[in-house]
Amino acid sequence: MSITRRDFLKIAAVTGGVAVAGTPVVKSVLALGKKPVSLPQYVPTTCEMCFWRCGVIAKVVDGKVVKLDGNPIHPNSRGKLCARGHGGIGLLYDPDRLKTPLINTGSRGEGKFKKVSWDEALGYVADKMEKIKEKYGAESIALLTHGTISTYFIHLLQAFGSPNFAFPSFALCRGARDTAFEITFGEAVGNPERVDIQNSKVIVLIGSHLGENAHNSQCQEFAEAVGKGAIVIVVDPRFSTAAGKAKYWLPIKPATDLALLLSWINVIINEGLYDKEYVAKYTVGFNEVASAVKEYTPEWAEKETDIPASLIIETARLMGKNKPSVLIHPGRHTAWYSDNVQRQRAVAILTALLGAYGRPGGIYLNPKKKLEPVFLSDKDYPDHQKPEIHKGNYPFAGEEGLTHAIVKTTLTEQPYPIKGWFTTGINIIKAMPNQRDTLKAIQKLELLVAVDMMPYDGVILADVVLPECTYLERHDDLFTVKERAFGISIRQPVVQPMYDTKPGWWIAKELGKRLGLEDHFPWNTFEDFLKMKCETWGIDYSELTKKGYISFPESEKPYISADNEPKFKTPSGKIELYSKELKDKGFDPVPKYTRHEQPPEGWFRLIYGRSPVHTFSRTTNNPSLWELMEENTAWVNAKVAKRKGLKNGEYIVLINQDGVKSNKVRIKITERIRPDCIYLVHGFSSTSKLLRKAYLRGADDQQLITRYDIDPIAGTVGMRVNFVKIAKEV
Amino acid sequence: MIELSITGTNAITFPHLEVWDWRIVIYLFLGGLSAGMLVMCSIANLRIPKQPVEELAQCVRAPFIAFIILSVGAQFIILDLGAPFNLYWGYLTFQPLSLMSWGTWGVPAVLFANALYILAVIPNEQRHRLRFPFLIKISEKLVPKMRPIAKLNFAMGIFLGIYTGVLLSSFAAIPLWNNATLSILFLVSALSSGAAMIVIIAKKAEIKFLFTKIDIWLIVAELVVIALFFYGLYTSTAPYKRAIEPFFSLTSEHFIFTIALISIFLLLPLALRIKLGELKEFEDGFHGEFTRAQIFRMNFAAILVLTGTLILRAAIVYAGQLTKLSFY
Amino acid sequence: MPRYVMVIDVERCIGCMACVIACKKENGVADGYFRTRVVEEVRGEFPYLRMEQRSELCNHCEIAPCIDACPTRASHRAKDGTVQIEKKKCIGCKACILACPYDARYSTPEGVADKCSFCEHRLKEGKSPACVETCLGHSRIFGDLDDPNSEVSQLIKKYDASVRLEFAGTRPRVFYINKKFAGGL
Ligand SMILES: Nc1nc2c(c(=O)[nH]1)N[C@H]1C(S)=C(S)[C@@H](COP(=O)(O)OP(=O)(O)OC[C@H]3O[C@@H](n4cnc5c(=O)[nH]c(N)nc54)[C@H](O)[C@@H]3O)O[C@H]1N2
Ligand SMILES: Nc1nc2c(c(=O)[nH]1)N[C@H]1C(S)=C(S)[C@@H](COP(=O)(O)OP(=O)(O)OC[C@H]3O[C@@H](n4cnc5c(=O)[nH]c(N)nc54)[C@H](O)[C@@H]3O)O[C@H]1N2
Ligand code: SF4
Ligand code: SF4
Ligand code: SF4
Ligand code: SF4
Ligand code: SF4
Ligand SMILES: [Mo]
Repeated sequence: MSITRRDFLKIAAVTGGVAVAGTPVVKSVLALGKKPVSLPQYVPTTCEMCFWRCGVIAKVVDGKVVKLDGNPIHPNSRGKLCARGHGGIGLLYDPDRLKTPLINTGSRGEGKFKKVSWDEALGYVADKMEKIKEKYGAESIALLTHGTISTYFIHLLQAFGSPNFAFPSFALCRGARDTAFEITFGEAVGNPERVDIQNSKVIVLIGSHLGENAHNSQCQEFAEAVGKGAIVIVVDPRFSTAAGKAKYWLPIKPATDLALLLSWINVIINEGLYDKEYVAKYTVGFNEVASAVKEYTPEWAEKETDIPASLIIETARLMGKNKPSVLIHPGRHTAWYSDNVQRQRAVAILTALLGAYGRPGGIYLNPKKKLEPVFLSDKDYPDHQKPEIHKGNYPFAGEEGLTHAIVKTTLTEQPYPIKGWFTTGINIIKAMPNQRDTLKAIQKLELLVAVDMMPYDGVILADVVLPECTYLERHDDLFTVKERAFGISIRQPVVQPMYDTKPGWWIAKELGKRLGLEDHFPWNTFEDFLKMKCETWGIDYSELTKKGYISFPESEKPYISADNEPKFKTPSGKIELYSKELKDKGFDPVPKYTRHEQPPEGWFRLIYGRSPVHTFSRTTNNPSLWELMEENTAWVNAKVAKRKGLKNGEYIVLINQDGVKSNKVRIKITERIRPDCIYLVHGFSSTSKLLRKAYLRGADDQQLITRYDIDPIAGTVGMRVNFVKIAKEV
Repeated sequence: MIELSITGTNAITFPHLEVWDWRIVIYLFLGGLSAGMLVMCSIANLRIPKQPVEELAQCVRAPFIAFIILSVGAQFIILDLGAPFNLYWGYLTFQPLSLMSWGTWGVPAVLFANALYILAVIPNEQRHRLRFPFLIKISEKLVPKMRPIAKLNFAMGIFLGIYTGVLLSSFAAIPLWNNATLSILFLVSALSSGAAMIVIIAKKAEIKFLFTKIDIWLIVAELVVIALFFYGLYTSTAPYKRAIEPFFSLTSEHFIFTIALISIFLLLPLALRIKLGELKEFEDGFHGEFTRAQIFRMNFAAILVLTGTLILRAAIVYAGQLTKLSFY
Repeated sequence: MPRYVMVIDVERCIGCMACVIACKKENGVADGYFRTRVVEEVRGEFPYLRMEQRSELCNHCEIAPCIDACPTRASHRAKDGTVQIEKKKCIGCKACILACPYDARYSTPEGVADKCSFCEHRLKEGKSPACVETCLGHSRIFGDLDDPNSEVSQLIKKYDASVRLEFAGTRPRVFYINKKFAGGL
C-alpha cells in the first residue's frame, strides 16, 4: 500500500478557496433521520506563527478551524507544519485575545482600559498624531514594527511624513549576518536562508540550533542530511538538539567564536585546503586574508575557545576534504556580541574559501525572476523635513532601521524629540534589551499606540490598543518566496474575524482616512489590491486562492555553472574576502579577533535560545502550545548545581550584574551546558495580567539583559553580555 | 546519569501511574473481607456434621453482613468507573482473560450465592422479617439445602478472595503486582480479615474462640507470605526489584510506604500476641462466658487485623503504580 | 489485509513536537491529554554526551494485554490488525491503562479510555497518520509490513529494528531504528 500526500492535494484543489462560504452539508435520502454531516472545507493560506511563512491548508468544519496542515506545494512547508504552525488554532481561539479597541484611562502602564468603538479609537489616535505633527513635526512619530502588518504601517507613516521606523529583525536578529554577506557577496543570504543543507556533506552550525529553531523546511532538510549521513559539527556552549545529531560537538567558551573561525581559516589556508580555482576566479583579497590569519593558529585558538587544537584541525580538514559541499550555516539571530558583523564576515570568508557559495551543499543562488514592484499606491510620499534617525550613526545599518536608535532618540530628544510611537506586531518589552530604557522612553511619549492581537507586555503599556484579527482571519500582502525557485504565496481569511477585530490593512487605511491620507489607500478592500497586483504580474488570482502557492520553476538556477555565472554586487564585482568598503569606513577589512569580557568567579553568562514549541513571547499564552511547555527552565550545569546543593526542578531566581532579579524559574540540572553559562528559552514570564496562562510563568531573559553591546559597523546589538548568579527562591 | 525529558505525557500515567485510587482499595478490602467472612461462616456451619440442620446455623448474621459489605464494596468500583452507563456492555459478553470481566460476572454471582445462604440460615423465628411471602417460601425450601449452600459459599468466598489478588497480579505491566504470591497473600489476608470480623460480630463465646484460633494460623501464614512476597520480588529482575523500593525507602515521597510496611508488621504480630494470650488463658478449657475485658481484647485484636489488611491493600495498590516495567 | 506498522528512525527525530500537536488536532484530543509523546534521553557527562530523541505511541501490539484486560470488548483488534477502542462500549474501568506496559493509554474527560488509533480514519481515506504526515524529521515512517517493497519493510530489514520493552512480550508493531548504531556495538 502506498499513501501519498497527493490525495490531500486533490481534495484541496476541489474545495480550496471557497473561503468563508456557508459550509456545505450532505443531505441524502439514505441519511434520513441522521444528523446531516458537514463536509470539511480546505482553505489554503500562509502561516504567521513565525516568519518562515509556510503554506498552510486549513480544515474548516462548520465555520470552525479544526486542523492546519502544511501545503505540499509550498517550498517552506512541503506538506508539513512545525508545532507552532499546528498551534495556530490555539491563537485563533485563545480566550485572552484582544476583542475590541481599548483606550487607557489610567496612567501609562497601569493597564486600566475602557472599551471603545473603532471610530472613537481611530479618531483619538488621528487627533493626537495631528497634534504631535503640529508641535514637533511628523518625524516625531516613530514606528516599531514586525511581521506582515509592517507593510501598511510603514506606508502610513511615510505618507504621514515620518521616515523613522525600525524592525527588531535587523539590530536584534539577522542584521549582522545580512550586512556581512552584503559586504562579502553583494547580497544577503535570504529569508529563508539559501542554505542547501539537504545536499551538504559537512554542516557547521555555529549557535544555529536547528530543531529548537523550528524553521520548517530548514529542519526538514537538516534531518534529511543527518539521515543521509552528513557530518555535523556544532559549535555551541550548550548541547543543543542539533549537537545531539552531531559527530563533533564543540562546547565553545561563549563569545570566542571568531577565534575558532579565524583559526579554521588559518588551517584551511595553511594546509592548502581551500578551493584554489574558485578563489582565484571569484574572490579578491586572498593574500590579505592569508597574512591576517597567520597569528590565529589552532593552538592560540584553543586557549581562547576551550576547544582542543587537535579538534580544530580535524574539523577544518573535514571541511577542506568535503568542499565545496560544506555549509557553514550563516546563522540568523546573530545579535550576540559587539563584533557580530566581523564574526559573520569570517563565516562568509570561510564559505568563500571552500568554494561553497553557489555550489551544491553550500549556499545556493537566488532564483532568477524579476517582478515589477507594485506599490500600495502610486502617490509619492511627502519629503520629510528633518533627517531620519532610525539608523543611528552606523554606516552599514540596514533599511529596516535600528530599534535602539529610536529608543535612544526618544530618551535624549537629540537631534529632535520623538513624541509618538506606533508598535505593530512587536512586543517592545520582550524583543528589545534594557527594559528600563524602553520604559523610560515611553514615559516621554505623548502617544503610544499598539496594534496587536494579544495583550502582551508591550500592549498593556499603550494609550490606545487596536486589535488586529489573526492571520487566519485576514488578507495580507502577497509573499514572494525566494526558495530554490521563485514563488508567490497568498494569505486569505479562513474564517471571518472573531470579535470586533480588524485586519491590519483596514486599520491603516481607516486611520489614513482620518489623517486626510485617503489617496494613499486607493483600493476598497485589500483583496481588490491583491487582484490588481496579480493582474500586473500576470498571475491567475483565482488559481492562487485555490492552490495557495504558485511557483515559477524555470527561475530555479541554484548552482554556478558555465551558463549560470554569478554576479556579485560588490564594488569589485567579486567576493570580497578583503573589504575595501569596510577599510574606507574605518573598520578592519579582514576580521580581527577581539576578546570579550568573561564572567567573574561565581557568575554565569546568560545565554538564550528557542523552544521548538514557542515563538519568542508571542505564543506563551497560546493554549495549544502552552500545554507543551508552560514555562521555561534555567539550565544549570550538573556539577555547578551539585556544588551549590540545588535540586532539579526547584525554583530559583537569577540576579544579574545590575541587581535585577528575575521571576522564579525552575532549574533544569543538566550535563548539557558549560559550567560558565546559564541558559533560558527566550520570551517567558509575561508581565501582563490579561494573559491568564503566560502571566509570570518562568523567567524573562530580556529582563536580565540590562546591558548590551552595539556593533559599530551595522549597529546590531550584542545581547549575550550579561552575567547572572543564582539565588534560591524565597 | 540519564537525563530524561518527555513532552506530551498524560497525568494518569506520568510520572507514575495514577490510575486506581482509594476507591479500588476499598473495593478490594471490602471484597476480601466479605470473601473471608463467607469462607469462615461456611466453615462454622459445616464444622459440626451430625447436628440437625435447624440447629446448625452457627453463623447467622455473618452471611447477611458479608452481603452488605460486598454490595457496598461493589459500589466503590462503580464509583471508579469513568462511564458506568456503559456497564451493560459488560453483561453482553464474558472475557475469560479479563479479570474485570470475571469481576463483572463474579461479584453478582457471589452475591447471589450469598443471598441463598442468608435465606438458608435464617432462623425459623426470624423468617417473618423477610417480609415478602415468596422470599419466606424460598427460605423455607432452602433450609434443608443449607449444607450444600454453605459449601457453595465456601467456594465462592475462596474465589472472591483470590480474585481480589489476581485482579492486581494479572497486570504484567506492573511489577509489584505481577506475581502469583500476591494472589495468595490477598487470599490469606482476606480469610484472616474475615475471621477477625466474625470474632467481632459473633455473640456466641465458642464461635469467637474458634475464630480466634483460626485467625492465629492465618496471621502466621499472612506474615510468612508477606515476607515471601518481598523476597520473591527482591530476587527477581530489575523492574521487580525496583518495585519494592518504596517499601524500604526513606525519601520523603515514599516514606509513607515504609511506614505502611512497618505498621503491618506491628499490627499483625500485636494481634497475634494478644490472640496467643487469649489462647493461653483458656488453655484449660473454655467456660461459656467472657468478661468485658476479654471481649474488648478480642475485638481489639480483630480490629488490628482488619486495619492491617486495609493498609496492606492500600500500600500495594498505591506502591504498585509507582513502578513500571520501563524505567520511566 | 495490510499489516500496518510504524518505524521510528530516532536519528532523524529533531524533537520538533509537530507530531504531538498534529495528533491532538487531528483526533480532537482534549486539552491536557496526549496520544503520542516525544522522549529526550541524554546519557554521559559533559562534554561527552549522547542524546536520543524518539516519539512514542501505542504499539498496536500483536499480543495486546490491553485487549485481554478489557471486560467489554471495547478494546479490540480491528480487522486491519490495529488495536482500537470502541468508545460506546467502554465502561472506563481503566484496566487497559494499567495493562499497557507502554503507558500508551489515558482516560478522556468523558471517562473512557483513549489512545493512538494509527489514525484509522485517515488510513481509510488512503492517507498516512497525521503525525507521520507532518513529521519534520521524516522520523516517523508508516506502511505495510506485508509489502516487501514498502519503506517500512526495507528499513526494518536493513537496520537492526528493535521494539520497546521487548521482554514484555507484546510483539509491538512500532519499530525503532538507529542507523548510527545499526550493526555495530
Ligand atoms: N532577549 C532576547 N531578545 C530577543 C531575542 C532573543 O532570543 N532573546 N530574539 C530576537 C529576535 S531574533 C527577534 S526576530 C525578535 C522578535 O521580536 P518580536 O517580533 O517583537 O517578538 P514577540 O516577542 O513574539 O512579540 C510579537 C508581538 O507581536 C504580536 N503579533 C504576533 N502576530 C501578530 C499579527 O499578526 N498582527 C499583529 N498586529 N500583532 C501580532 C504578538 O502578539 C506580540 O505582542 O526578538 C529579538 N529579541
Ligand atoms: N521554535 C522557534 N523557532 C524559531 C524562532 C522561534 O521563536 N521559535 N525564531 C526564529 C528566528 S526570528 C530566529 S532569528 C532564529 C534564531 O535561531 P538561531 O539563529 O538558531 O539562534 P542562535 O542565535 O544561534 O541562538 C541559539 C543558540 O546559541 C547558543 N549560544 C549562546 N551563546 C553562544 C556563543 O557565544 N557561541 C555560540 N556558538 N553559540 C552560542 C545557545 O546555546 C543556543 O543553542 O530562530 C527562528 N526559529
Ligand atoms: S516554521 Fe512553523 S510557525 Fe513558522 S511559518 Fe512555518 S509552520 Fe508557521
Ligand atoms: S501499546 Fe499498550 S495500548 Fe497499545 S496495543 Fe500495546 S498494550 Fe495495548
Ligand atoms: S477502560 Fe474501557 S477500554 Fe479499557 S478495559 Fe475498561 S472498558 Fe475496556
Ligand atoms: S497515528 Fe494518529 S493517533 Fe496515532 S500518534 Fe499518530 S497522529 Fe496520533
Ligand atoms: S514530528 Fe518527527 S521529528 Fe518532530 S518530534 Fe515528532 S517524530 Fe520527532
Ligand atoms: Mo529573529
